[in-house]
Amino acid sequence: MSTVSAVNKPKFDWVKLAFSAWGVVVFIFLFMPIAWIVVYSFNTGRILTDWNGFGLDGYKSFFQNAAPRDAVMVSLGVAALSALVATALGSFAGVALARRPGKWSGAFLVLVALVLVTPEIVDAIALLPWYVLLGQDLNITAFNSGWVRLIVSHAVFSTAVVTLIVRARLAGMDESLEEAAGDLYATPTKRFTQITLPLMLPAVLAGGLLAFTLSLDNTVISSFVSVQGVTPWPVYVFASVKASLRPEIASISTLMFLLTILVIGLVAVVLRRGGDSSSGIAATMTGTG
Amino acid sequence: MTDSNEPIKILAPPAAVDRISRRLFMGGAAGAAVAGSALLSACGEDAATDTSATPAGEIEDALNMFTWGEYNSPKVIKAFETENNLDFTLDSYNSNEQLIAKLSAAKGTAGYDIIVPTGPFIPALVENELVQELDLSRLKNFGNLEEQYKNQEWDPGNKYSICKDWGTTGYAYDTTKIDVEMSDWQDFLDVAMNQASGNVSILDSPDNVVGLWLWANDINWMTEETAQLDQCEEFLLNELAPHVKAFVSYPGGGDMQNGNFALVHAWNGDARQGILGVDNPDQWKWVFPGPRSEIWMDAYAIPVGAPHPNAAYAWMDHLLLPEVSLQELEYIGYNTGVKDIEPLAKDAGIERLDMVFFTDEQVASMETGVLNSAQDRRVEIYNKFKSAAGS
Amino acid sequence: MTTDTVGTADTGAAAPKASSPVRNKRRRGAPKFLLALPAWTWFILFFALPVGLVLLYSLGEQVSAFVQKPDVSPDVWSLDNFDKAIEPEYMPVFWRTLKISIIGTFICLLISVPFAYWLATKVDPRWRGLLLGLVLVPFWTNFLVRTIGWQLILSPNGLVSDGLQKVGLRDDPLALLYTQTGVQIGVVYNYLPLMILPLYVAFDRTEPALREASKDLGASRVKTFFQVTMPLAMPGAIAGMLLVFIPLMGDYITPVLLGGAKGNMAGSLVAGQFLETFNWSQGAAMAVIMIAFILAALIVAALLGLLLRAGLRANRRITLPQATRS
Repeated sequence: MSTVSAVNKPKFDWVKLAFSAWGVVVFIFLFMPIAWIVVYSFNTGRILTDWNGFGLDGYKSFFQNAAPRDAVMVSLGVAALSALVATALGSFAGVALARRPGKWSGAFLVLVALVLVTPEIVDAIALLPWYVLLGQDLNITAFNSGWVRLIVSHAVFSTAVVTLIVRARLAGMDESLEEAAGDLYATPTKRFTQITLPLMLPAVLAGGLLAFTLSLDNTVISSFVSVQGVTPWPVYVFASVKASLRPEIASISTLMFLLTILVIGLVAVVLRRGGDSSSGIAATMTGTG
Repeated sequence: MTDSNEPIKILAPPAAVDRISRRLFMGGAAGAAVAGSALLSACGEDAATDTSATPAGEIEDALNMFTWGEYNSPKVIKAFETENNLDFTLDSYNSNEQLIAKLSAAKGTAGYDIIVPTGPFIPALVENELVQELDLSRLKNFGNLEEQYKNQEWDPGNKYSICKDWGTTGYAYDTTKIDVEMSDWQDFLDVAMNQASGNVSILDSPDNVVGLWLWANDINWMTEETAQLDQCEEFLLNELAPHVKAFVSYPGGGDMQNGNFALVHAWNGDARQGILGVDNPDQWKWVFPGPRSEIWMDAYAIPVGAPHPNAAYAWMDHLLLPEVSLQELEYIGYNTGVKDIEPLAKDAGIERLDMVFFTDEQVASMETGVLNSAQDRRVEIYNKFKSAAGS
Repeated sequence: MTTDTVGTADTGAAAPKASSPVRNKRRRGAPKFLLALPAWTWFILFFALPVGLVLLYSLGEQVSAFVQKPDVSPDVWSLDNFDKAIEPEYMPVFWRTLKISIIGTFICLLISVPFAYWLATKVDPRWRGLLLGLVLVPFWTNFLVRTIGWQLILSPNGLVSDGLQKVGLRDDPLALLYTQTGVQIGVVYNYLPLMILPLYVAFDRTEPALREASKDLGASRVKTFFQVTMPLAMPGAIAGMLLVFIPLMGDYITPVLLGGAKGNMAGSLVAGQFLETFNWSQGAAMAVIMIAFILAALIVAALLGLLLRAGLRANRRITLPQATRS
């Protein structure tokens, strides 16, 4: 950011070059650890950090061993179900916020904001005793199930995300189409399924996919609330971190990374089809919209 | 084997365990190597050749084990899975407390078939009705277990558990970074505060932390004398703490290979994995330090409500086969307690057996924890020590 | 989250347009606000009540290792857990957490402002979407995995140390793992996308015309940036700082993986009480103190921000009569 005169169109733009160089440096920084994990997933050594040679042993051991495979299956199952829950709850809430705002919506948005900003560790330590209370003291045995605990925990944060995405989408659109349908004597149900739903669909899909990846990656809350036999993959990885990291851990991570990127790519496509700008997409995807 | 992996602890009589506060029951120790009056003659027959682990029923199609991380040879698991045509599921915990919490939360519906608590935790598990009584007649190979590893103080008559393996605590150092010859705990403390300052890892476990100073001063680590503990605390907080780099329970899991430390306080099997894993194993030296150290034992047990008990018996019995036990030992680096495992291991040419087997003299210097009044104090010292090391 | 305070030219993409009250009155048949009822219930049941329970637990006391739940009957209520949590042994951990978080937030800001500005204004619009997508990739990579990646890089045999030695900048291995510096690098990395994105959105939504106008009026690039662009991007910067600072204060994974003895943070202290020592009451009290630290820091920051703004305004009026606000 040196002081260069403002009128310098034909001259070589050193400032722009400096900015671009910074951009490249930041990108290298952003990708360095990920690249390292991917590279080391091909390590044939017994221990991840100790490079031995190039090979597919880590991937082989992932596919041959039940434990990491089960962990991934648990994660996928939990992610799908919690995404369903979050999408349903969040979509309805988003519609209500966009179409019938009122005195309640301020308080509701505060609650949503609190859900989004509360440090994960606080949610984690709050939910663990809560499940014990529900499952044991109140004897609602469903909350002793690892699946229920994971699905519910993951669907709290992602419901908040879906709510905001759907609200933003509908708020950007006029209600006149729905009004018109009403004037043409469409029943409320028809109005919803034929007008509102198609309008909000991109947002619902995007929100659902985001909820899916959020659940897939959740580590902190999962490691607190997960129970016997239902271990999602980040918890499996976390347990190995404390004992011994093997290349197989990097291999799972790489595969899950690819899966996440695929889903996120889908979200971007869905949102772009829905007409969002790139900055709108960015805002949506970080839950900062 | 884990952060709070407590060494072998003794059991208080079950009545005393009744209202055990967690602190209370963490201190014990039992003389794994020492005890061992062979009450179990009934099961003493040698069945080393019996490979047909056939208990009282069909082996089910699944087996769920809840255990420490990296604590079984993947090859052994794979083979067992194929042989019995079942699905082996591993779930792992990092401390005995975690194990207990999960089991007690589920109240017999945890779904696990096998758990691996450290000995002294077993009476507490029994007391809370979390583990079931074993039918030793279903373990045809039980006789393969060395007498001295049966019938521990915390589980007389092996009513609830059988030995998985046992180990001790020592340290290892990188000779390219430390050029003094080290042999006892005093050396450890001296070097930690000088040449290795800022490059030392300490076990993340209260008993082992206080053991550092107490052993160096030839004091039983389970001492209840306030003056000794005061002195210990004074030394740890004010002298040693600033030199500590990290609290790590498994430095052999990657830290040694990465050169993160010059001096590591470690359990023998883990240190062995670390040394075998570094590029140049001769660079690291393992020390079994005097004048005292610890002995701990982890044991297999079947939780109440285990859905696949037959498979669980089959697994325990399978591991008592000498050749299987040998494979386990090679991977985890702990003495499995199976008869003649030492000569077998030597014949098989397994590396670094000096870190797995110990001389009678060494074993005699190992002491177990006890359940005593100093437990709260030990945890308190440990907490303060960790905090002091941070600033 | 990006509440507009400076009057940016908002494109309105995400801002809710209040639907006309006239229309709303027309149809009462469909009480759509009821659609939010399940979500209300959900948040109260699995967020508000559990978090409230933490407060209650912080007043109770541990029973035993086999009873996970602490005793919280009113007759044992006391502030003992809080007394313990602020004892001299633990306070340094909270202060260290605050320090790491503040430094981390500012480093993120310093890295992100030029980067986001570049991305939003200098990069060819055709590439912008793709590059922005690339920023999202690390954000969507598992937090734990990214941090393990840093373990590989920061260890004495790792990339940074080896690289520096090969280039000749160092003779001996550099150990960054298990140091406070290691944690600092880790948290900056882990939260950086949360700073870049709101800033990008903010820069993207400022009108190029304003910058042009400023330049036409003779302001230098630097002046334009600090007096026109940056104030307009302020909401983005504030949002980014909040998004980085708050979760950073509660981080648990980064210190556990990279911190060692010296980089211990409040999050791992709290987690330890739940996962290792099973003293839920103690852990709950520590969590409450952690939240108190976060809130106190936010209040202080808000006050400082107000003071600063007042100061700048006064200052600008005097020295910059040609100020270029449209």
